[in-house]
Order: sequence, then structure tokens, then C-alpha cells
Amino acid sequence: MRIILLALIYTLSSYAGQFNKVRITPEISYIYVYHKGKAVKVHRIQDTKNKLTGEYAKTYRPNKDIQPIKIAKDVKTIGEVELLRFMKKKVNKKRGILVDLRTKKEYKEESIPSAVNIPSKIITNKVKVEKILKILGAVRLPDGSLDTSKVLGVAFYCNGLWSKKSSSFIKKFLEMGYPADKILYYRGGFQMWKILGFTTVTN
Amino acid sequence: MTIKFIIFLLVSTLIYANKVEIVKGLPFVTVEIDGKMFKIERNQVKDSYLTNTFALTSRPSPPFFIEPFSVSEGIETYGELEVLDFISKKKGLFIDARLSNWYKRSAIPSALNIPFKHFLYESDEQIKVFKKLGGVLNKSQDEWNFKHVKMLLFYCNGAWCGQSPTAINALLENGYPKEKLKYYRGGMQSWQLLGLTTIVPKEKK
Repeated sequence: MRIILLALIYTLSSYAGQFNKVRITPEISYIYVYHKGKAVKVHRIQDTKNKLTGEYAKTYRPNKDIQPIKIAKDVKTIGEVELLRFMKKKVNKKRGILVDLRTKKEYKEESIPSAVNIPSKIITNKVKVEKILKILGAVRLPDGSLDTSKVLGVAFYCNGLWSKKSSSFIKKFLEMGYPADKILYYRGGFQMWKILGFTTVTN
Repeated sequence: MTIKFIIFLLVSTLIYANKVEIVKGLPFVTVEIDGKMFKIERNQVKDSYLTNTFALTSRPSPPFFIEPFSVSEGIETYGELEVLDFISKKKGLFIDARLSNWYKRSAIPSALNIPFKHFLYESDEQIKVFKKLGGVLNKSQDEWNFKHVKMLLFYCNGAWCGQSPTAINALLENGYPKEKLKYYRGGMQSWQLLGLTTIVPKEKK
């Protein structure tokens, strides 16, 4: 009897350990990503009674325009499933970067695993922007033009559906010559990530 | 006289103007429900939070999984601004594809409830629905002609809800043209997170 009970507890706990109760897709219940060199298991909160509270549950957002679904031609808007695929196939293999455009303070408190922070106001700082472009693989040619033939794919996100940070930043990036088909826009942003109960990290 | 009028305008703006606009310069949008105009706006009450069941982060799987951003290639995914444009200009049918117990509790204003099950199986219900959309059954009653159908915009509970994608897929399998199908993935959850107006639909007799 005791053995059966133990076996049952073991089965149940290993079941819970696989994050199967609340899955991401029918096929995927978690993925591993690298955040600052460490592997992080990204899954969803398994407590089906859990509710989002705090700043990201706010519905009163004065002076925050709802953002359109599309930012620019050829810039793909993505959801969570596509973002996770990007993290696994690109970010994990250092072939892509996930950028959190929120403030340094917001990022420090909590972010999507594997994301790096580029506060959106940096766009006005020419020296820093030049550095970022270089990290992304763009080469400034002697005639001043930008060679973007070998740039990394970048996925951007900010606070959520009512935050224009991603759209402003992406538009500036396009003006500088960054190819649109190398840019992804996770419109749901940190708010949708949170309300779907996904794993977050502190920085 | 003019000064008085300006003061009146200023005061009335202060009293009536929406502080939280949909986008700058667009305080609200009107839609038609049963012949009456109805206003959709954003929450104007300071420090409001989403606290109802749509604040739940973790719906059990199955049946709930995160839906892909797009239902199928060629079918446009809409955000809230595109939804508002669609329903205020009456560009087609705006369909809430959830089972009616969900719809009865709260819905997006002006939506018509056609539960996804009515699209799925060959039945009298399906025939009724397809005809409503503009479909024509051929003479042998075994194939649908969808040449002159309506533009449809679907939504359900949100990113974790498969009800509207299921309805859209069923229509695709029956030959409904892709360019006539739109999907509002954010659904009830994103709608309410943005503080947009919802209604408890009146019972139809």
C-alpha cells in the first residue's frame, strides 16, 4: 500500500515537474533558453487559480495609444509561440537577439528570459546606437553607408499593446537602414507575457 | 459672447473629454447594436485593474493552449484598432465564436454570437450559418459556393482560446476564401486589459 502511494506521489510530482497541466502548445510545455549564460526553463504558471495582479493588470492607461497590429511593411508581428521559437532557434544559437525596450528599472525588476535591455530613449544617442548596430553585425562603410548583409535577427518588445516604444524604435531602426525582414515585433509585450503566466527573470 | 462660448467649450471639454483615448484624437468609436448607436471607449477610472476571470494566467490544457499569431497563411490577424475600424464602418460580420455561456456573460459590443461548433459539423445549424454568411448550396446539396460571401472577423477569449481559430479552420476546409476571414487574436482578454467597453448582450427572443 505504502509503495503504491509513494509511486503515485512520485508520478504526480514528476508530472507536475513537466509543466503539463498548463502547457504552451499541445506539443510544448517548456523550453530552455540562455539568460546571461545560465539555462532557464521557460514554462507557464501551473496554478490554474493564479491571477495577474499589480502594475501589469492595470487597465487605466492615460496618454497611451493602442498600437496598430503592424508597424511597417515586412516587419513581422509575432505572438508568444513565434517568440519562443525565435528564442530557441536564434537567440540560443547566438543568431538572434531579443531586445527589451523598457526602462532599465523595469528590466531590472523583471523581464522575459534571454532578453537584453536597450532602453528605447537610447535611440537619440548616436554613439550608443552605432555600438548597438555593430553588435548586431552591421558594418559602417567608409562612404558612411551601412552594410547590413550579415546582421542578426532582432525581436523587440516593450510594455504591451499600449506602449509605442517598439514602434518608435523600429521605425528609427528602419530609417537607419536595418532590413525589415530581420526585425520581429512582439506586440503583446511584457503585459501579455505576464498575463499568460510565462516564466520571468530578475536582472 | 464669443468669450463665453469659448469658456463653455473649455468647461465642457474638461467635463466630458475622455482622458484615456483609444488613440490621440480618437476618444471613442460608435457601433450599431439593434438599430441603436453605442459608444466604445477606454476605462476612465483611475487605478483600475483587471480582476475578473480574464486576469487568470493559467487555463488548464487541454483544452487551452497558446494559439499561434496567425490561424493560417493569408488570413490577417487584427489588433484592437483594426477591430474598431471594422465594426464602426460595418465592413462585415463581427463574430464571437465562443460557446454561448461565455458570450452571455460579457462580449465585445456589436458582436454576433455564432458558437464555433456550428461551423464544425454538417448539420442543419451549419447550413443555416453558411447561408447567413452568403454561401449557396449546389443542386446536389453536397458542395458550398462561397463566391459572394461576407467579410468575417472572429474573436474569442484571447491568446489562450482556440474557439475562433477552430471556426476559421472549419470555414477554410469548406472552401471559404481566405481574404474574407480575419482573426482578432487578443480577444476578450486583451480588449479588457486595454480597458475597452464590453457589454452583457441582451437575450434575443
